[in-house]
Amino acid sequence: MKRIMIDYMKCDGCKNCTAACMQAHREEQGTIYDLDLTDPKNESRNHILSDGRGGYRPIFCRHCDLPECVMSCMSGALSKDSVTGVVSYDVNKCGSCFMCVMNCPYGVLKPDTLTRTKVIKCDFCMEKGGEPSCVKNCPKKAIWVEEVQA
Amino acid sequence: MRHVIIGAGAAGLTAARRIRELDSTAEIVVISRDEHVHSRCMLHKYLSGERDERTLNFVSPDFFEKNRITWIKSAEVQAIVPDRKNVVLGDNQMVCYDKLLIATGADSFIPPVGDFRTAGNVFGLRNLSDAQEIVKHIKPQGKVIIVGSGLVGMDAAYGLLEKKMDVTVVEMADRILPIQLDEAAGNEYKKLFEKAGCKFILNRKASETILDSQNNVSQLILDDKTVLDCDVIIVAAGVRPAIACTIESGIDVEKNIKVNEYMETSVRDIYAAGDVAGMSGIWPNAMKQGCTAAENMCGNRTAYEDTYAMKNTINFFGLVTLSLGRGQVQEGDKVVIREDSKCYKRAIIREDKLDSVLLQGNMDYAGVYQYLIKNNIKLKAEDDIFKKSFADYYKVRTDGQYEYNL
Repeated sequence: MKRIMIDYMKCDGCKNCTAACMQAHREEQGTIYDLDLTDPKNESRNHILSDGRGGYRPIFCRHCDLPECVMSCMSGALSKDSVTGVVSYDVNKCGSCFMCVMNCPYGVLKPDTLTRTKVIKCDFCMEKGGEPSCVKNCPKKAIWVEEVQA
Repeated sequence: MRHVIIGAGAAGLTAARRIRELDSTAEIVVISRDEHVHSRCMLHKYLSGERDERTLNFVSPDFFEKNRITWIKSAEVQAIVPDRKNVVLGDNQMVCYDKLLIATGADSFIPPVGDFRTAGNVFGLRNLSDAQEIVKHIKPQGKVIIVGSGLVGMDAAYGLLEKKMDVTVVEMADRILPIQLDEAAGNEYKKLFEKAGCKFILNRKASETILDSQNNVSQLILDDKTVLDCDVIIVAAGVRPAIACTIESGIDVEKNIKVNEYMETSVRDIYAAGDVAGMSGIWPNAMKQGCTAAENMCGNRTAYEDTYAMKNTINFFGLVTLSLGRGQVQEGDKVVIREDSKCYKRAIIREDKLDSVLLQGNMDYAGVYQYLIKNNIKLKAEDDIFKKSFADYYKVRTDGQYEYNL
């Protein structure tokens, strides 16, 4: 399977990945220049945490080999594709219980801020051809896609 | 190899799927009382009319076909006969097994209050059949009494308020959702429910019933002699493991089927998982137990290790809550409370370890807390518990997966 690899030592916390993710998942068409970064509709699926000492820790969905989120989903909305390895989310099936948020050990998931009806979850930009926008927009090459053994 | 699974809930179907992943040639048979696969956690959405039999399904519509599983539905297991390695169904049909998994779940417990157990309009809310019965019995503006304000009781209230029913919740504790929430957090939900028209009677128990000529409870009498009119009563007073099929099977059963960490019962080649095994009442644990049972049924000796079960999430009216731990303060505990207009947070720290955490209003990225509790991770005195994140333990493995660096 493909996974977004991370070298956090290279991350300088610029949040290009975060903006790229917001842009990739916005509802209305537009360019990054008219993307409203303050609109809670445009939430990012990744986030960067500071270590408080000038370093950064990118928090990106790992599409885990044994995904705790899938193992907590009571509606069948979350599933791991046996071929691509992607842990995908079907918003129409979701029961908005957020047990997946509770169960992700790495704190990657959150309920959507506006409606609390869906989970904000990385989709590997599958609808955009499976090339994650975050990766394309990292100027430091701190994240990249690699084929890994699942 | 023929695997037979009784029950089509979280544990049963997770096991079925895992067995298929592990063994492409095994025969898999699922026997269920249910006619439709359904998520019990969403039955309130059936009451509200938001979902139907089809959309309560938590597996894909082609699950049984795709995984080549024979599904015997609407069937009751009458007996398990370990000597002959078969199970007997209601119509005397016999199904042989090499490995058997009992994942029958649990049934609503109806306490012996008045005529609760025999009246025609008193229901639990555990199975789709319960929800179907409730929907059949409710009339617009009808009076519904819900006994118990745990998660199931509040689910029922939520669903029926959507249907514009006249809902009264009777709770014997002094607050709602007493196991999951403290008073402050419970009150936030109480206010939202009241705004939607729900009435609450706290500190009271149901004690007697008055029947009408059709054997329906028309009035419920509480322990302080309050009389409440009702058309339907929903009892949300907990569940009991569904162990009926084990009678005379020789399987060691007390309140629940006894299993070891490999999900094995006392009888060879018979396993149990999920609510019937009595280790946890929550969905994620049932799935993991089902998965563990499947591994062992297929010969991979695997212990069930993720036993932590004091966890829940709640989402009513868009107010979300995460509750981990018992939430009970002991002497010497450090209690940290923080609140603002949108959010209430409470943590109990015991001997430098997180014991319980309650996050209401915002549970963004809160998955780390379960890990901290489950793994007894020591906190530092200077740690702000509400600022803990995976960044504090960050490690990326060579295969790109995360790991806690402790």
